[in-house]
Amino acid sequence: MTRKKQRDEKLAANLTELTRKQGQWREVLMRLVRNKVGMFGAILCIALVILCIGAPLFTKWDPYEQAVINKFIYPGREHIFGTDDFGRDLWARLIYGGRYSLLIAFGATCFSTCMGVLLGSIAGYFGGRTDLLITRFLDILQAIPSLLLAIAISSALGSGPFNTMLAISMGGIAGGARMMRSVVMSIRGNEYIEAAKATGSSNARTIATHVLPNTIAPLIINASLSIGGNIMSISGLSFIGLGVQAPTPEWGSILAVGKTYIRDFWPLVVFPSMFIAITIFGFNLFGDALRDALDPKLKD
Amino acid sequence: MSLLEIKNLSIHFVTRYSDVHAVNGVDLTIEEGKTLGLVGETGAGKTTTALGILRLIQKPQGRYESGEIIFKGKDLLKATDDEMRSVRGNEISMIFQDPMTALNPILTVGDQIAEVIHLHGKCSQAEANERAVKMLEMVGIRAERAGEYPHQFSGGMKQRVVIAMALACNPSLLIADEPTTALDVTIQAQVLEMMADLKKGRGTAMLLITHDLGIVAENCDDVAIMYAGEVIEYGTLERIFHNPKHPYTLGLFGSIPSLDKDEERLHPIEGLMPDPAALPAGCKFHDRCAYATDECASCEQELAEMESGHKVRCARVMKGEI
Repeated sequence: MTRKKQRDEKLAANLTELTRKQGQWREVLMRLVRNKVGMFGAILCIALVILCIGAPLFTKWDPYEQAVINKFIYPGREHIFGTDDFGRDLWARLIYGGRYSLLIAFGATCFSTCMGVLLGSIAGYFGGRTDLLITRFLDILQAIPSLLLAIAISSALGSGPFNTMLAISMGGIAGGARMMRSVVMSIRGNEYIEAAKATGSSNARTIATHVLPNTIAPLIINASLSIGGNIMSISGLSFIGLGVQAPTPEWGSILAVGKTYIRDFWPLVVFPSMFIAITIFGFNLFGDALRDALDPKLKD
Repeated sequence: MSLLEIKNLSIHFVTRYSDVHAVNGVDLTIEEGKTLGLVGETGAGKTTTALGILRLIQKPQGRYESGEIIFKGKDLLKATDDEMRSVRGNEISMIFQDPMTALNPILTVGDQIAEVIHLHGKCSQAEANERAVKMLEMVGIRAERAGEYPHQFSGGMKQRVVIAMALACNPSLLIADEPTTALDVTIQAQVLEMMADLKKGRGTAMLLITHDLGIVAENCDDVAIMYAGEVIEYGTLERIFHNPKHPYTLGLFGSIPSLDKDEERLHPIEGLMPDPAALPAGCKFHDRCAYATDECASCEQELAEMESGHKVRCARVMKGEI
């Protein structure tokens, strides 16, 4: 009798422990892991990140070291992706260059997401004239095609990794802010926001503790899906000579050099393009999976 | 001195298309530790009055046209936003109608209660958490459940959480806006009983908004009947229930079906409440009133004292004609 009671109590304690720990995030993670395509994307992304961060471990070549005698060597044992027009190892340049591409893409995504959160939540929460002002500003931003905007900004600020990041992020602000605004507006109408105000919570505090945590899911989805696009934009900018400048290795600028030799030396075009494509592919797959995991209602 | 004194409070909602007179010259008094019942049909301005006390009227449409809200000797309408924030949740707190939506779905109930305590108590997060758990136990929820989310609770339990949150800072006034409307009858009784106990133990005054006269009879010391943004009858519980005077109050009591008589049909008050954007002249109730005369349609009525502790807004009652 007592043993049974003891066992029941233990069971109940375990159960409450279980429900507490198995929170929403755990469920999301489970759904994410079960999505095979998404996991494939995630593995691609992680592999790329590891490759770029640990670049010196994966090649013995210096991406800046020129040796004109070795130029235009086709892929082989010594240079697995071949060499470029200055005899630099292409594989080394690509994985070192990925550092710039990925860093700028992450930076731009972070910056535009932060700006989007700030503008969108203020517009959505306060509404009225504030909303009108911010929305019109976003209209202006969005009226300019994002690549054109990036070109304009980076030609005004000059080239370089940081300026490129800034230029790219501008294009992403409007979309993020708009999404944020609509999400915040739908949350603002809830009674628990009014209840929070009735407990004496200030506007800033209400936004931080009650509104923003409710917007995390769409925010993550938006950010992860925009990384791919940002990588594309960075490469595009570098390709036309406005982004990261030579000799800094960056996928777009390597591709731009390769363009000159497209008829005579294929590796210089194919490999950087491949890197760009695989990265975007990986992030988009992962982003899609994340969206399905965070919002299972969307799927069917 | 009374705890809360509302004098001649008028709140209008002004939009481009209309001017809604939600609350018109309301006078109310709540004594320390007492409960005032605010009764009226939907749209009578009960909730607007309640939100008005906390200055939570939606701006810029909502405007205070006139009035004073004297709480502990201070006029809340003249208080700064900072002062107002320290009153809300701390000295005056509110229980909302629907517990299903009044809790943030992504915060655990313990965190939500701790948030209020932390906000006003100026204590550490750990202390706030501890007190939150105590509050939960006080409303009859086991301490282990503090880490659970609102969706893991039933409606009655959620309302208990909301009550715990409202009482967490020991407010001197609790505004309960139809606290039991969203609950089923058995849970209603439990929640009301618990509220009455807590109130008694802490000496909290309460403004209880409801349209259930049964709840008023059980819980209130004073009653105010509202109609079209005005208080039309006001007095102690006994006076109102034993000697209702205003034709609208009579109508309200008349519409309650009787248990011991065999009746075929209910007896509603004919007609609808006037549109608050276009209130009639004279007595607001005259077009539904069985006793109305031509005079009622033209003369504004005053809330006048009929007997001690009993005020009525009706000229014919005052003349002794009804």
